[in-house]
Amino acid sequence: MLLEISGLTKYFGGLAAVSQLDFHVNKGGISGLIGPNGAGKTTVFNLITGVFPPTTGRVTFDGIDVTGKKPHVIAELGIGRTFQLNPLFADFTVLENVSASFHLRPKSSWLDAYFNTATYRRNEAYILEQSLEILQLVGLDKVKYELAKNLPHGYQKMLGIARALATKPKLLLLDEPIAGMNPDEIAFTLKNIRKTQQQGVTFLIVEHNMQILDLCDRVVVINFGQKITEGLPQEVRKNKEVIKAYFGG
Amino acid sequence: MIDKHLSTIDRRRLVKPSAYGGLVIILFLLPLFIKSPYWLHIFIITFVFIIATVSLRTIVISGQFPLAHAAFMGIGAYASAVISKELGWSPWLTMLLGGLVATGIGVLIGYPFARLRALYYAMVSLFFGVGILQVFSVFQKWTGGYSGLMGIPRLLPAATSKLPYYYFFLGLTTICLLALYRFEFCRIGMALKAIAQSHQVASSVGINEARHRVLSLAVGCFFVGLAGAAYAHYNLTLSYTSFDMLATLWLFMYALIGGIGSFAGPIVGTAVLFIIPELFRGLKEFLPYLSAAILFIVVFAMPQGLVGLPQLVRLWFTELRKRVTHAS
Repeated sequence: MLLEISGLTKYFGGLAAVSQLDFHVNKGGISGLIGPNGAGKTTVFNLITGVFPPTTGRVTFDGIDVTGKKPHVIAELGIGRTFQLNPLFADFTVLENVSASFHLRPKSSWLDAYFNTATYRRNEAYILEQSLEILQLVGLDKVKYELAKNLPHGYQKMLGIARALATKPKLLLLDEPIAGMNPDEIAFTLKNIRKTQQQGVTFLIVEHNMQILDLCDRVVVINFGQKITEGLPQEVRKNKEVIKAYFGG
Repeated sequence: MIDKHLSTIDRRRLVKPSAYGGLVIILFLLPLFIKSPYWLHIFIITFVFIIATVSLRTIVISGQFPLAHAAFMGIGAYASAVISKELGWSPWLTMLLGGLVATGIGVLIGYPFARLRALYYAMVSLFFGVGILQVFSVFQKWTGGYSGLMGIPRLLPAATSKLPYYYFFLGLTTICLLALYRFEFCRIGMALKAIAQSHQVASSVGINEARHRVLSLAVGCFFVGLAGAAYAHYNLTLSYTSFDMLATLWLFMYALIGGIGSFAGPIVGTAVLFIIPELFRGLKEFLPYLSAAILFIVVFAMPQGLVGLPQLVRLWFTELRKRVTHAS
C-alpha cells in the first residue's frame, strides 16, 4: 500500500468539504478518484499534498505519516501533482518549466549553484538531458522553446504532467488531466499516462469525466465529500448510487 | 554533447555579457574626458543607486514587492556610520558590517513576510520602512535625529579629489552587479522566478518557498545596505529622509522605466533618470512629471522597458524596409 487515507475530514467554516474519507492506493496501479463537480476531489488532493492541513484524519505515504506536512516536504518524499488551473510556470519556456521542476533530484546546494562548481554543472547537464527525455516522452519536444503560456490547452496539461514527472515521484496525482480536452488530446493523454505507468509510477487521478474509468484499475467515487462506493471500474459504472450522483434521480 | 544553445537557465536575450564589459571599460576611461568634480559626483551617486535598484530587482523576481528597500539602504548607511564614528573602526570593515546588519534585519522580517503576498506584502513592508525611519529619528544620540548625522569618517582619507571615489564606486558596483547577476542566472534565481509565477506549482516540485523568499530578501538587503554604507562614508552626512518611502518608489521608477523584466533594465533606468536631468538643468524641477511621462510611454510603447528599445527600433526598421520594397 503506497498511500493510505483514514478518517480524512476538512471543514471550511461550517461546511464539510471532505468528511470521514477512507481509501488507499496500491503500488503500481492507476487509481481513480471520481465524482461530480464540487464533490471535494481537489480538496482531497490539497490535503494529501499539504496545501492545507486536514481538520482530522491521517494521510500515510509509503509508511510515513505525512499529515499536515508542508507541500515541498511532501514533494521531496515522492508525491508529485498537477493542477487543474494554472498548471505551470507561464513565463518560462516549456524546457525551463521541466528543468525548473528538477529541483529535488538531483539537488544542488545553494553554494554549488552560486559558485558554478563541477557538481552543479554535472547536475545541470544531467537535468537538461533528462528534461529533453521527459519532453520526448510526453510529445512536447517540438515546442520546447515556446513560452508555456502560448501553448494550446491540451499541451499545457501535458506539460503539467511532464513537470510533475521531473520530481521523480513514486505517486503522481493528476487533477482533471483530460478536462476541457478534445477527443484527440484525450486519446493522446491517456496513452501517455499508460506509458508512464509502465515505467513504474503509481497514479491517482481525479476526474469528473467518466472516460477516465477505462484507464483505472480501481476507482473511488465520492460525492459531497463522502465516499459513495469503491471497486473495479465496471462495478462502479453499474452502481445505482453513482448513476444517481451523476444524473440525478 | 550538450548543445550550448540549450542552456535552460540563461535567458539573457536583451543584453550580452560583452556589452557589460564594454561599458565598464568606457566608464573606466571616462575620467580622462570628464574632469568636473560635479559630474564625477553625479556618476558616483548613479553607481550607488544602480546597486540599490538592481538589488531591489533581486527581491522582485521572487514575487515580493518590498516598499522598504530604501529603508534598508538607510540601515546599512546608519549602521556603518554610527559604528565607525562611535567605535572608531575602519569604514572598510563597518561597510561590510552595515551590509550584514541590513541582511540580519532582512532575514528577521523575511520569515513572517514570507506568508504575505501582493498588496499585503507591499503595505506591511511599507510601514516597516516607516518604522525604521522613526528609529533613526528617535535615537538622536547616535543618529543625529532630525538635524542629520555629521562627521562620518571618510572612506578614503588620503583622497584629494573625487577621482579615487569614482574608481572605488565603479569597482564596487561592478563587483556587486557580478554577484547579483550570478545569483539570478543560476538555479536559485530560477527557483525564485518559479515562485513568482506560481507559488503553488513551485512548492509542488519541492521548492521551499519561504526559504527562497528569505534568501532573496537577505541578498537584496545585503547589497543595498552595502551601497548605503559606502555612500555614507563618501557623503559624510546622512539625513534619514533620504531613505523614506518616496526613495523606494523612485527605485521602483528607475527599474520600471529601464525594464524590470531584465537584469540590464534597472541599470539603464537608473542611469537615464540620473544623467538626463543633469544634461538639461532646467528639467530638474520637472523630474517627477518627466519620469511619469516616460513611464507612460514605456508602458504603452515599450513593454520591455528602455532596454528593449534597440530591439524595437530594429523591428520598426525592418518593417519600414519591407514597406519601401513593397512600394517600389
